Amino acid sequence: MGKENHINTKKINTPLDLDVLYKVLDASVTGIVITDNLLPDNPIIYCNPAFEEISGYTRSEIIGHNCRFLQGKDRNQPERKAISTALASGESCRVEIRNYTKKGKLFYNELYISPVKGENGQITHFIGIQNDVSSRRRTQQELELVQEETERKVEERTRMYKESQEYLSSIVETIRESLVVMDKDYKVLSANNHFLNTFKVSINETKGKLLYDLGNGQWNIPELKKMMEEILPTNNPVLDYEVEHDFPHIGKKLMLLNAHRIELEGRYKDWILLAIEDITDQRALQQRKDDFLSIASHELKTPLTTIVGYMQLMNRMMPENASDKFKGVVEKTGKYIQRLNQLLSELLDVSRIQTGNITLHREEFDFDKMVAETIESIRAATPSRKISLTGKIGRNFNGDESHLIQVVSNLLSNAIKYSADNTKIEVRVSSISDFIKVSVEDKGMGISEDELNKVFDRFYRVGEVQKHYPGMGIGLYLCQQIITNHGGTIWAESQKNTGSTFSFTLPMY
Amino acid sequence: MKDKKILVCDDDQGILEMLELLLEEDGYQVVLEPNSVNALRSIERESPDIVLLDIWMPMISGDQILRSLRDNPKVSSTPVLMYSASTDGKNIAESCGADSYISKPFDLAVMLEEIERLLQE
Repeated sequence: MGKENHINTKKINTPLDLDVLYKVLDASVTGIVITDNLLPDNPIIYCNPAFEEISGYTRSEIIGHNCRFLQGKDRNQPERKAISTALASGESCRVEIRNYTKKGKLFYNELYISPVKGENGQITHFIGIQNDVSSRRRTQQELELVQEETERKVEERTRMYKESQEYLSSIVETIRESLVVMDKDYKVLSANNHFLNTFKVSINETKGKLLYDLGNGQWNIPELKKMMEEILPTNNPVLDYEVEHDFPHIGKKLMLLNAHRIELEGRYKDWILLAIEDITDQRALQQRKDDFLSIASHELKTPLTTIVGYMQLMNRMMPENASDKFKGVVEKTGKYIQRLNQLLSELLDVSRIQTGNITLHREEFDFDKMVAETIESIRAATPSRKISLTGKIGRNFNGDESHLIQVVSNLLSNAIKYSADNTKIEVRVSSISDFIKVSVEDKGMGISEDELNKVFDRFYRVGEVQKHYPGMGIGLYLCQQIITNHGGTIWAESQKNTGSTFSFTLPMY
Repeated sequence: MKDKKILVCDDDQGILEMLELLLEEDGYQVVLEPNSVNALRSIERESPDIVLLDIWMPMISGDQILRSLRDNPKVSSTPVLMYSASTDGKNIAESCGADSYISKPFDLAVMLEEIERLLQE
């Protein structure tokens, strides 16, 4: 093999071969320069067309220059140091250095430098092989950029995930509701601080335990168990389930339970979130308020009874020669005492309904007759008003007659109260499918749209009405409660300055 | 009819006075008992033709008085009209054997009608 090499070298050394060799160099697509190290400042003595192409300089602008012109003003590159070290020690080197074309355009030059040694070991020439690797470099840089971007995105995602975790956990920990997450076997996976504080337990007593084993078995209620067991297979949540229990550490409490299957990114997991709210105080407060209403109205009724009695006695004992003026005063007094009595009765009714004491005394009664008689009694009290009645049911209805009288007369009194004296009031009764429908229509002041759905709220009074008409905002609330208790619905339709229609339906069966 | 004796038991002085005036005006003989503790004794002593009895009273409530009255053979058949401002007054009155019930504030005409009806029975 060495022998062959020797032969080849010999061939290259012939003049003909040298000419061929230059042609090879000229044809190369790789930039090639040769410098003469024996001349001052190591000038370029040869460059091929590919180098002209890469650098943008012509041969005449290249020959005789030191290679450093390629770096332009960009002198402080560490690669330059590597080159000079290699040149000084006569070794070969490979660098990637920033070079500039004649037009000043940056390109990355992958440069191989090999020394050529003379017979006495002296370095006579350097050969520089050059490749414009800008595009390769650019691709690489782009790749790095993509990598960096990816890393940044991952970091960002991680940060966002952490933040949303923190965000969620801050909600979970701040919320005034006990939260417990369980797996499909009702084993507790986590519980928030409010749970631990409310039930005065530690996380160790809770995590990993079965829900039904917690505390003294407070959640081990067959009915609750049944509902909980249906959450996963049916997705039916447990809603507003009340548990009253003597809990360890905290005593007798009323808890409101809600449980849902956990949904993550739109997919159901076999986890259950149980939210527990302590409504003991809330319920007690409600009870106290209702008790107050009940006691206050009851206590007020006793002196009122006496006043009503004396009022009636005054009428009975009225001297025959009493002046009309005096009779008028007595009559007015009686009217307002009656009004006061009405308000007190309403208050009492509200407290009764609130405490759930309202029990419907259902009995068969003639519905048409009830409506007709109620209208008659209202007519008697306000003879100046025209009240018409159309339609009938033609059959008995099973319900609480006295309460339904209250509803009809309340709707009628409202119609009278809120419409002008010369306008008509229409009552329509009809049976629709298996429902009774009653409507009371007036041509009065009407109710604006935004107030329409509030009129059935307790103690709500339509803004402008409040100033001109006495009342407590109880009547319609009571009507709604009574109708709802009968399984029916009540609603209002109205147009400002045109009139209002209040209607209710009652299921007949 | 009008010389009949009515005993009224109520802790509220205002009601007592008002009823006394009304009932005397109508020709009845009226005995007032403001203290529920003494009610049964007064009824035994006075042997009224009818008793008007409030439900909500301190110490002994109207329904307790009525139960004892029904258990006492000397006065057990006395007709009793109960009244109350309480919402469940009617149920209480029915459960303890009242002959009639009216809610406060009462219409005097209705009360007088009820008294007459019970006296006739």
